[in-house]
Amino acid sequence: MIFDALHELLEHIKQVEKETISLSLEAQMKLSRFIEKQKIELDDEAVEALQYQDIISQQLSATVEAIEAIQKNLQIFAQTFKHDERFADESVTKLQIKLSDVLEEARAKKEAFGGHSKKSSIDEDKIEFF
Amino acid sequence: MANPIVMFIDDSETALASTRMTVSSMPIEVKQYLEAQACLNDIQAGVVPELIITDLNMPVMNGLELLKALRELPATKRTPVLMLTTETKDELKQQGKALGLTGWIVKPFNPAQLKSAITRVLRLPA
Repeated sequence: MIFDALHELLEHIKQVEKETISLSLEAQMKLSRFIEKQKIELDDEAVEALQYQDIISQQLSATVEAIEAIQKNLQIFAQTFKHDERFADESVTKLQIKLSDVLEEARAKKEAFGGHSKKSSIDEDKIEFF
Repeated sequence: MANPIVMFIDDSETALASTRMTVSSMPIEVKQYLEAQACLNDIQAGVVPELIITDLNMPVMNGLELLKALRELPATKRTPVLMLTTETKDELKQQGKALGLTGWIVKPFNPAQLKSAITRVLRLPA
C-alpha cells in the first residue's frame, strides 16, 4: 500500500516536471520566433537569459531520470517484501544503496548540466582554445 | 565569394535559436541540426562546413562521438570544431582535445565571446 502511494506521488512529480519542460520550451520558442520575426536586436544579457530554458530543461530531465530510477528500485523492493517479509531487512539495505547511487548520479548531472548559470561573472573563463 | 558555412548541432531548439540570433549579423551561412546524424548526412552529401559548433550531451550521438565521426570523413578531417556545452569537466575536455577539438565554450555563452570565437577561428575581419 505504502509503495503504491509512493509510486503515485513520484509519478505525479515526474509529470509536473515533464509538463514544465514542455511549457517552458513552448514559451521560449514563441518568444524566440517573435524576436526573430520582429528583427529585435538583443543585448548580451538577454541572449544569455534566453539560454536558461535549455539548462532548466536539462536539469529537470535529469531529476525525471532520478525519479524513474527510484520508482524502479522501490518496485523491486516492494516485490521482494510482498514475496517474503524475512528478506525485508536485506532488501532495505539494498534499497538504501541503490537510492544513494541514484542521488549521487543526480547530483553529478546537476553539476554537469548547470554550466555557468550560477556564476556571478558572465566573462568567467568560458572559451578555452586547445 | 560565398560566406563560410558554420554548422550548429544541438538537441535543444531554444539553444539553436539563441545561437542563430547571436550570429545573424555575421558574414556566415548558418546551418542548424537537432541531431548529429543529420549534420553528417549533409556533409556526406557534399556540404562543406568551415566550422562546426556542437553540443556535447545529445541523445543517440553525443558531441564527442560526432567529433570522432567528423575526423573519419575526408571533408572534415581538419575542420575546426568547437564544443558548446554546460559541461565543465576537464576529463571531457581532454577527450575532446585528443580527438582534435578546437575549443570549449561553456553555456550559457556570452554572445560577444561566441562571435569573437567564430571570427577568430574563421579569420573573419574583426
